[in-house]
Amino acid sequence: MRHIFTIARHDLQVFFADRANWFGLVLMPIMLTLIVGGAFGGGSGELRLRVDVVDQDGSPAAADLVAAIGRANPTLYFCPQQATADRFNCEIAVDKPLDVATAQERVRRGDTNALIVIPAGYGAALQTFQPLTIAYYSLADVTTGDIVAAALDAAIAQVNGAVVAAQVGGTVGDTFHRGATAANPSIFRDAADRQAFTQQVAARADALLQAQPLTVTYTIAQLRPQERPLVTTQGFGQSVPGMGSMFVMFTVLGMLPIINKERKQWTLQRLVTLPLRPAVILGGKVLALFTLGMIQFAIVFGVGVAIGTDFGSAPAAILLVMLAFTLCITALTIALATRIRSEDQANGLSFLLAMVLAPIGGAWWPFEIMPEVMQMIGRLSPVSWAMEGFRQVIFFGGGLAEVLPGVGVLLAAAAVFFIIGVRGFRYE
Amino acid sequence: MPDWMVEATGLVKTYQRRDGSTVAAVQGIDLHIRRGEIFSLLGPNGAGKTTTIAMISGLIAPTRGDAKIGGHSITREPLAAKRLMGVVPQEIALYLELSARQNLEFFGRLYGLSGRELGRRVDEVLDFIDLTERQRDRLDTFSGGMKRRVNIGVGLLHRPQMVYMDEPTVGIDPQNRRRILDTVKRLRDEYSLTILYTTHLMEEAQELSDQVAIVDQGRIIARGSQGELTQQVGEQDRLIFTVGQQKVEEALLRRIEQSAEGVTRALYDAPAVGDADGAATAGTITVFARRGRRALPGIILAINDASLEIGSVEVREPDLEAVFLHLTGRALRD
Ligand SMILES: Nc1ncnc2c1ncn2[C@@H]1O[C@H](COP(=O)(O)OP(=O)(O)O)[C@@H](O)[C@H]1O
Ligand SMILES: [Mg+2]
Repeated sequence: MRHIFTIARHDLQVFFADRANWFGLVLMPIMLTLIVGGAFGGGSGELRLRVDVVDQDGSPAAADLVAAIGRANPTLYFCPQQATADRFNCEIAVDKPLDVATAQERVRRGDTNALIVIPAGYGAALQTFQPLTIAYYSLADVTTGDIVAAALDAAIAQVNGAVVAAQVGGTVGDTFHRGATAANPSIFRDAADRQAFTQQVAARADALLQAQPLTVTYTIAQLRPQERPLVTTQGFGQSVPGMGSMFVMFTVLGMLPIINKERKQWTLQRLVTLPLRPAVILGGKVLALFTLGMIQFAIVFGVGVAIGTDFGSAPAAILLVMLAFTLCITALTIALATRIRSEDQANGLSFLLAMVLAPIGGAWWPFEIMPEVMQMIGRLSPVSWAMEGFRQVIFFGGGLAEVLPGVGVLLAAAAVFFIIGVRGFRYE
Repeated sequence: MPDWMVEATGLVKTYQRRDGSTVAAVQGIDLHIRRGEIFSLLGPNGAGKTTTIAMISGLIAPTRGDAKIGGHSITREPLAAKRLMGVVPQEIALYLELSARQNLEFFGRLYGLSGRELGRRVDEVLDFIDLTERQRDRLDTFSGGMKRRVNIGVGLLHRPQMVYMDEPTVGIDPQNRRRILDTVKRLRDEYSLTILYTTHLMEEAQELSDQVAIVDQGRIIARGSQGELTQQVGEQDRLIFTVGQQKVEEALLRRIEQSAEGVTRALYDAPAVGDADGAATAGTITVFARRGRRALPGIILAINDASLEIGSVEVREPDLEAVFLHLTGRALRD
């Protein structure tokens, strides 16, 4: 047992003796975590909900309405109005404007939380005080407190109020025009006159408010068989576990060529000629890989903590997911080592695997925004099970119970990989 | 019955190639090595020396046969057998990213050393291989000879009773080679270590060995002390004529054998084209003859008659090279 630690410690010593490894372990992951986190709207610790807004009017008044909804609930962000340059945070095509049909489909598929359609002529209608309808689509039942609908209501009440005030202001303006003369700067002849004016304004405002020019029609989009969680983009809540998982793969699978190199430079064979059981040698290698993986997670989550990301309230559950995922990737590496013939092959394979398993497993973007077929394929990636667990804790307040299914899958896969690896491991 | 340090019987190793064909790397080797002696396995590249060491050091399982190290079977009691041996592989099996000391400490720990004992042994070994001053430097800043010395040092850390050294002088300059040969002799003379030494260089085997086994194509073709082996060639000298790339007819060889009294055999040996040495040294005629110097004029005449030019002539007393040539008809070179 002592020798397992000796070998693991030594392998880490060799790993850290190479400057290039520091770059891959520390610098790269930190940079990518910050960049990807920023692409998702940054806002560490802040839960942001996606809302599609199709603005068919394009007037400044329409933009004001969107701004007002945003003020009513700052956790909302609007697509495409607040899309990043690459439209990554909105998941919409860069080259095509968002039309109503597409947006409705997005609502139905759960790719966005709600759709607000501002019809053409909105700005003009406000000025001429014409009644107008804004369409609202959502998966959520409006009566049970849809927070997007609530923000829309608040914004419209504000706009309505402003319209009324503007109309009232107009009345006041008329009064000024009528009363003010050079000879008599005071617009009111006497107190009675002033009283009459005030009453007149109040009556006008009351009438206008009764009319409520702006109205909203609420449409509950047809629900899919299984209900979906809110489409969120908490930048770092996504990027930290995502990039963490990806770099654990880069780092641990990246040791695949090292195993091959040890065979080529005969240090592995030398270990076999020492009075050690083969299990001790392999155990040392496994422990080294596993430790490196956990160090990698610690570095990336450390960045998350440093910038104040909210990782939920169940650190033990997060740790459990990390352990299971790292174990799974370690076992995968050992299993692959039985098949590898050259260092080049090992290099290529480890890079390719990480680059495929990470995105299809939802390390680069939230899993649920991927098309259904991709989600099914993505389930083959250990990353998807880890991300599922991380997201349960980070976004949905989950604890140990919620991460157990994913952890179970990861551990089962680890067991299979270990059996393959231990049986087939070649020392010569 | 003598107290054998190593006793190997009927070792066979057959490798399976991926295309299904087999390679008979070792085809039945017996070894009996006494305590405190230097035992050399001398043979050309590919003879099966490394494969033999791999089997008796527990690195690979023999296809057939077994070996006992200090009475412990390497296949059935591998840990007990391995504790008695130090292994110096043909490759520089070290971590070049680490310092000499770090390498020694790592392997020392795995030999079960720790604490002050570990420190003392590492110091001892560093002193023995004369690298105390460079102990903190990374190995990738070392010369080939220095790395070779560390490679040897690792095999000595736990004060084994026996050391396997697989071509420990490969790829280093004459000065470092000298140093390593002296080290090997010191290990026997001062530390009473048993040493199994492999080489393809006749001179090394000749200088070091108490006992020699000549291996070729997976078999031991001769064994014994150097005296016993050279007796197999008889009292014959070896006359070596270099003839460059000139064509040598079989008939000329026969004529040489008749050319003078005492000549027993004439052989022509030409290294493959593209040999590293180039054309200058290619092609030699080797003649075995009793009283070689006397036979020389007759042989030279015979070669002249065949219109061949002689580049150089060398007369050698019986040696291991002659034994190999005598037994296989081939020169012992890589
Ligand atoms: N792992 C292996 N697979 C197939 N053939 C091998 C393997 N190792 C050695 N051989 C073959 O076995 C023969 C003996 O090799 P080796 O023991 O390395 O010779 P030496 O050490 O005397 O130069 C060679 O022909 C070599 O090609
Ligand atoms: Mg060899």
